[in-house]
Order: sequence, then structure tokens, then C-alpha cells
Amino acid sequence: KKYSNDHEWIEVSQDGKTGTVGITHYAAKSLGDVVYVELPSPDMDVNVGDSIGAVESVKSASDIMTPVSGVVVEANNALEESPATINKSPEDEGWIAKIQLTEKAEEEIKDLLNAEEYLKFIEE
Amino acid sequence: MAPSRGLSTVFSILSYRTSHSNRVCSSIRPQFISRAYTSIPASSFVELVTRPTSKHQIYISRSLDPYLNLSIEHFLLQRTSPESVILFLYTNRPSIIIGRNQNPWVEVNLRLLNAAKNDNNDIETEPPSLGDVWLVRRRSGGGTVFHDEGNVNYSVICPPAEFARDKHAEMVVRGLRNLGIDRARVNERHDIVLDQGSQRSQVDEADTHVTPYTSDDRLRSLKISGSAFKLTRHRSLHHGTCLLSSPNLNIIPDYLHAPAKPYIKARGVESVSSPVGNVGLSNGEFERAVVEQFCRLHNVPLDASRGAIEGVNTTVSENDNKWVSAVVDEELASIPEIAKGMDELKSLEWTFLQTPQFVLSSHPTPDDPRERPTLDSAIPSKTQISLKSRSGVILESDIHIPSDGPLAETQAAEIHKELANKKIHEIDNWEALLGGSKGIEDSNHTKAIGNWLAKMFGKA
Repeated sequence: KKYSNDHEWIEVSQDGKTGTVGITHYAAKSLGDVVYVELPSPDMDVNVGDSIGAVESVKSASDIMTPVSGVVVEANNALEESPATINKSPEDEGWIAKIQLTEKAEEEIKDLLNAEEYLKFIEE
Repeated sequence: MAPSRGLSTVFSILSYRTSHSNRVCSSIRPQFISRAYTSIPASSFVELVTRPTSKHQIYISRSLDPYLNLSIEHFLLQRTSPESVILFLYTNRPSIIIGRNQNPWVEVNLRLLNAAKNDNNDIETEPPSLGDVWLVRRRSGGGTVFHDEGNVNYSVICPPAEFARDKHAEMVVRGLRNLGIDRARVNERHDIVLDQGSQRSQVDEADTHVTPYTSDDRLRSLKISGSAFKLTRHRSLHHGTCLLSSPNLNIIPDYLHAPAKPYIKARGVESVSSPVGNVGLSNGEFERAVVEQFCRLHNVPLDASRGAIEGVNTTVSENDNKWVSAVVDEELASIPEIAKGMDELKSLEWTFLQTPQFVLSSHPTPDDPRERPTLDSAIPSKTQISLKSRSGVILESDIHIPSDGPLAETQAAEIHKELANKKIHEIDNWEALLGGSKGIEDSNHTKAIGNWLAKMFGKA
């Protein structure tokens, strides 16, 4: 699992073709109780840093960015029914989208932080 | 007040051409009789907004168009440099502003809104209806608010590192208190309220979350300002209303009372209702107070801010910090990004198809066991009406007159053929739509059910 400076995580599949993305515990905590999630549509082309959806919590509409470039293949529809899953399990069941990785993405992932580096980052 | 400045300071006042922009505002608002101002031309605006050295910017809009004002705000959110801090004040003509993820059929009495548009005089309200009230879905979260010319909106955009939900509400409270409004405080929901009651206690005057009148007893405070937020990758936006002298407080509840509310269970965000009150200040007094507090909070020389207040555009630079302060108006609608933003906000797709999933049902269900008000007597007693919608489109429906069973299923299926995938906001004549199916035999039933659905969706 790798992490971005914007508090997103990505877990790459065994075959290296897809990455599952979501927001970190730290981000979920700062957001507060999530009451609604706007998910990306499948087939959406995304570039690293683009908005792939939004979350509403405490009257705030917050953009969710993708840590990698690629094409959205699946969104976690369970979040429509239970937005609170993002708070309960942001780095597991609360995943937001699965993205088909491009070559560019593989480079981008190398630049992301590992768990230790991310922990250090949020401590600052 | 002369701020101390070094030799490197350049104080320049740029005066703009006044031929197009000199406006005398007509007396739409009682306290705003006539005032000449010079507004900033569109090209200068774009240049100054996007300039990386425009570290602090203050704008006041003299347009009353909510689509324009919200689009100017969005432009500021997207185009100002990441380290800058912006204050934008604006007032809108009577409008209802719903949050990004809300359901207009639950939050708003659309029939009342549309009645004025269609000169439909058969709706009686007391006091008399307001005339044309617009409906706008904003890009930030939160609930539904009513804007009119007695309400001034403030908006602050800043870097995420400097953002806190209460920070600028506290700033506004300081401004209000300086004008003698000592009952104002920020509450737990980041709103601003006026404490009621006469019980005075000793409190820390610098604490913007408590007043001498804050008490535990049941006297509910009156909300004067609601807040909403939008957080992007590089910027944080907080905007809020402030009810100063709205003449419409008595009638706002009518507009915010939707006939479908008891029948709809919706995902998304529901409004939290609060009793409201006016502060009792003029728009100008409030604007000046907020600008002053913004300057104090962000170390802006007060002289620089006078530009927006007095309608003379100023750009002040102190060392590397440049300030921009200006009045803006309809001219900004000519800026392509802003015009595009206005089109998006005006579009029926954004207004209605952004609506999260909801289910409308005439009778209690396991998911929504609330008691329902009795249906109109023209509707046969065993009738059940249920619709599921996502993104403002009808996905599923189950309308049947006989009790559950094969007859009911057949009827519901027939009716659904007419309703499937229809965009709810586009259905003007529910009776005709239902009548087009083979489902209902008795045209009186078609009429009764059609009328009920029309009422639910604001068309009757």
C-alpha cells in the first residue's frame, strides 16, 4: 500500500493492472462524519491529482483526488447506501474506486510514500 | 490610521474608466438609496485575481444575480493563487439556495416558486407571496437557505493549512459585536446565532462562542447566519449568510415547506431547521464591519480595504504583499469561465439531476415506517404509490390500486412502462403520462393519482 501527500492510499492488484484507491484514516478523521459520497463513473479517464468524486461531511463538500492516472473501472457503490463506511473502515471496506493503471501510473506509484514515510508526514 | 511602511512601499490607486461602470443603484433596498461606485473591468479583474502576488483580495459584488455571484465565487476559488486569502461579499435577489447534495422536492415548495413565474394567482399565502423566487443549487455542502436583499453573504477562500470551520464565523461575530450586537455567537454547527433572554452572566468578552445571554434554559437562540464549505485540493472555501433586515422572514417557512417531505426518504443531505431572526443592521454597516475584521485578522492595512467599501478600486503593495480591493458587478459575466459557471448553475441538469437517490411512497414501508398523511379521497383507498429515483430519473415504480397480488403487479408493470427513465423535473403532466398506459381503467383514478404526483413534484 502506498500513500500520497493528499492523504489518499492505493493498493495495487496482484497482476499489477488495477489499483484500489481511497482516503486514509487521517483524512477520514479530519473530515468528520461522512453523510454522502459522490462516486466517479466507470470509464472516467483520470490524471493524477484530478477529482474523482466528493464527500460531504459537516456541511463541507470535499473533493477526493486520485493518486494515480488511469481509467476508473469500478466505484464502490456500497458507499452510496452507507457513506459512514468511509469513517469506519477508510483503508479497507471504505475504498472509493478501482483504477486501471497506465504506464504513467507505475511511475507515479514509485513517487508515493510508503507507510512509514506517510506516518512521518502526518506527524509534522 | 496610517500603517507604518518602509521605503519599498508603493501605494498606488488605480482609477478605472467610469463611463460604463458608474452606476447609481436604484432603491431596491430600503437602506441602499443611491450610491455611485466604480466597478472593476473584467480584464483587470482576471489579471489581478490570478496574479500570484495578490496575496489578499477583497471584493464586494453589486450584482443581485445569484448565478453570477456564485460563479464569481467559484472563479475566485479556482483561479486565485494557492497562498492567497480572499474575502468576497455578495447579496442576492430573493432565491432559495439548496446544498450540493440535497433534494429539491424535499426542501422546497416548488409550486410556490413556480407560481410567481407563471403568474398563477390561485395560491394564497399570508403575507402575500413574494413574487419571483429563484432556485439555485450551490456547489458547497450543507442545507437550504433563503437569500434576499436584506441578507448579505460572506465568503472566505484560503489555503487548507489556514482553514478551520469556525475561524471566519468568529471573525464575523467580532464584526457584529463591534456594531453593538452583543448577543451574537458562533454555535456548535458553525452557524451564528443571537442568544435570547435577559439573563446576564459574566463571560469572557473575547470568546466568540458564548455571550452574556447564553443560558441552558429552553429559550432557543435565533439563527442569523448559516455556513457551508467546499474543500478542494489546494483551497478551502467557507461561505455564510447573514440575515440583516429581510422583510420576508414570515414567508420563508412557506417556501421551505415541501409537500413531498412526509413521503420521501432520501439519501444525501437533509436541512436542519432553525428559527431565524434579523440582526437589524444595514447591509453597508455589516459589509464595512466584516471587511474591517478581515483586515485585522489577516494583517491588511485598513486603507487598502476601503477600495471595496467606497467603490474606488485599490491595489496596494507592501513589500511583496499586494492587496486588491474592488467592487465587482454584472460586467464579470462577460468572463468566459464565469459565464460557463453560470450556465452550469442555471442548467436543469445540475439543479435536478444532481439529486441523490430517493424513494417516494404514499404508505409506510420497512425502510421508511413513518406515518403518512391520508391521501386525497379521490384516490381509491387501497392505492399504493411508490417511486424510486436516482439522479432525478425514475428507476423503479410501483403504482397499484388493488391490493398486492397478480392484478396489482400487472397494473404496476404497465404503468411503469410510461414512467421508466423519465426525468422527474421534465414531467409537466402526470395525469396525461399515467393516462398513456394501459394500467388504469378509470380516468378519475388516473386524474387523482396524477394530481397527487403533480403535487409531490411541484407541478400542482
